[in-house]
Amino acid sequence: MLIPAFSLIRREYLRWIRAPTWVISGLMSPILYLLLFGQAFDLGKLLPPGTPAGALATVLSGAPNYFSYFAVGMVAFASVTAAMFSGTGIIFDKQLGILQRTLSTPISRRSVFLAALTFRGMLTLIPAFLVVGFALVLAYVPNVAGLSVGSGVNVVDALQFVVAALILSIAFTSLFLSFGFAAQRIESYFGVVTILQLPILLTSNAMYPVNIMPAWLQYVVGINPISLAVNVMRMSLFGTAGYPYSVGVYLLGLLAWAVLFVGLAFWLASKALRTDVSPKGSALSEAIAA
Amino acid sequence: MVYPSSKPGTQGTVAVDGVSFQVRRGEIFGFLGPNGAGKTTTISILTTLLSPTSGGAHIEGLDVRTQSNDVRRRLGLVFQKSTADEELTGRENMIIEAGLYGLSAGAVREHANDLLAQMDLAQAADRFVKTYSGGMRRRLELAVGMVHKPHLIFLDEPTLGLDPQGRAGFWRYIRHLRESKGLTVFMTTHYLDEADQLCDRIAVIDRGRIIALGTPKELKDSVGGDTLELTVAPGAKDPTALLTGMPGVTSVTKVGETYRVKCSNGESLIPKTVLAADEAGIVVAGVTVIKPTLDEVFLHLTGHAYREEGEAPPPAAEGDGESATVEGR
Repeated sequence: MLIPAFSLIRREYLRWIRAPTWVISGLMSPILYLLLFGQAFDLGKLLPPGTPAGALATVLSGAPNYFSYFAVGMVAFASVTAAMFSGTGIIFDKQLGILQRTLSTPISRRSVFLAALTFRGMLTLIPAFLVVGFALVLAYVPNVAGLSVGSGVNVVDALQFVVAALILSIAFTSLFLSFGFAAQRIESYFGVVTILQLPILLTSNAMYPVNIMPAWLQYVVGINPISLAVNVMRMSLFGTAGYPYSVGVYLLGLLAWAVLFVGLAFWLASKALRTDVSPKGSALSEAIAA
Repeated sequence: MVYPSSKPGTQGTVAVDGVSFQVRRGEIFGFLGPNGAGKTTTISILTTLLSPTSGGAHIEGLDVRTQSNDVRRRLGLVFQKSTADEELTGRENMIIEAGLYGLSAGAVREHANDLLAQMDLAQAADRFVKTYSGGMRRRLELAVGMVHKPHLIFLDEPTLGLDPQGRAGFWRYIRHLRESKGLTVFMTTHYLDEADQLCDRIAVIDRGRIIALGTPKELKDSVGGDTLELTVAPGAKDPTALLTGMPGVTSVTKVGETYRVKCSNGESLIPKTVLAADEAGIVVAGVTVIKPTLDEVFLHLTGHAYREEGEAPPPAAEGDGESATVEGR
């Protein structure tokens, strides 16, 4: 039962480990943001001298300094950036005929989808955890801001953090996988991804506190899946004070996005992997005819 | 078993129609036709990658539409294009392909080694496919297609892009697999010599229809004897009447400056023809005897010469009627 899906995962893994360009493409932006933007742009320094110490903590919803607040946002950003490459493999498999070969075997179409989601989802998590490690290490470098975590963080908090990162990666991996299943060419895939990249990031709370945004923007930011995940992560590390809802509510909201995106990806995958001919023709039959 | 069937192409045309044939166990069955004739469409239907809009096909008695997974387990497939993963070794490609059929690496290791050795890839088995030559890639495709011990294998223009030595070598591997494994082979090709030398039986397909089916010898015999190609000098008189009167001549057709003379006795007709033409004052520029080849068969059956690559494809036929039965081991 599991051998076919595992075989696909193994193929993806071998391919990936031998051409690990993701190290540069996936990690470059978040690391640069941590090293440069996060160091230079300190919201705390913008407050007038004499501002009470608690004021900054209120703006940052409990985070001890802006860098710590920002670093957690970058964890989610790294994950979403890495997920943007999730759909590329399926497009190359279509173009090279590897997908057709796979579909000529008795492997179930569901296994093809689950293998892609599992492997790509795992890949998406790696940069997230590398960013956490990098930000934590920075705290021990002199004259450099790093991620400082509240002393009260326990196993449950850490688990919440990981669960939020996991659901976020499943959600965005699915979203970008679905573009991969729908697109015939790599150009159209990256066309869509490039259009989405900035709006997804800028309508989140990854870089700025929500409570200093205009009200109309707060609504959009509030339901952005990145914001929901980042809320859970920040609450896990810095405490829950100042958040209107509980961790459970944010996790549920995030889960709803994940279910929506997984459903979308599964629907588009079934369309792309079908071998019978609909009136419009399936993606596969067009690929064969081409 | 006849099932009316058709398969629409991308522009609403019918890609194959009136295609109906049976393949016997253990034979090498050739599907011969020019580009765009419907060969790949037929292979896609038989290998469950496309469903026919009507009609049907059976493989070892299994319906390709309703029993597709059982069909998939029994057949191996070698595509026109190389589908092996470049970043993986030959052996890894085989083990992973076996996994897609639910076979564990341990279960197929010995069989994979055996196949790699038979394809002369034992030395290269653990090298990345990106270092393979064109011929090695084709052999690896064959090994990958055989890894789950299929009863029959489909080869879609397997020697496309290979040099003459590479093609002849590949034919040897196919024959060897048929002998050693009792494999049924269904192959498409647009090389006439390939079909002639390799196949037990051939179906000739043109514009989506099967126009002839038989052994290479039967097809060549159907053309009826030799062809004498006689070219006259520019401005010479028409020799048609003269040629028609010669002994053993059955027909004369003019193609450009050349007269194609169907006859039973090609060699002996040459001196007689040249002498007779000389007496009649017709200047002969050249004479050639052509023994029947599949080229001749194609010309005879279709009324047009076998198209080479790059020429415009013919308009697709319309209508319907396809069935296929393929018997495996």
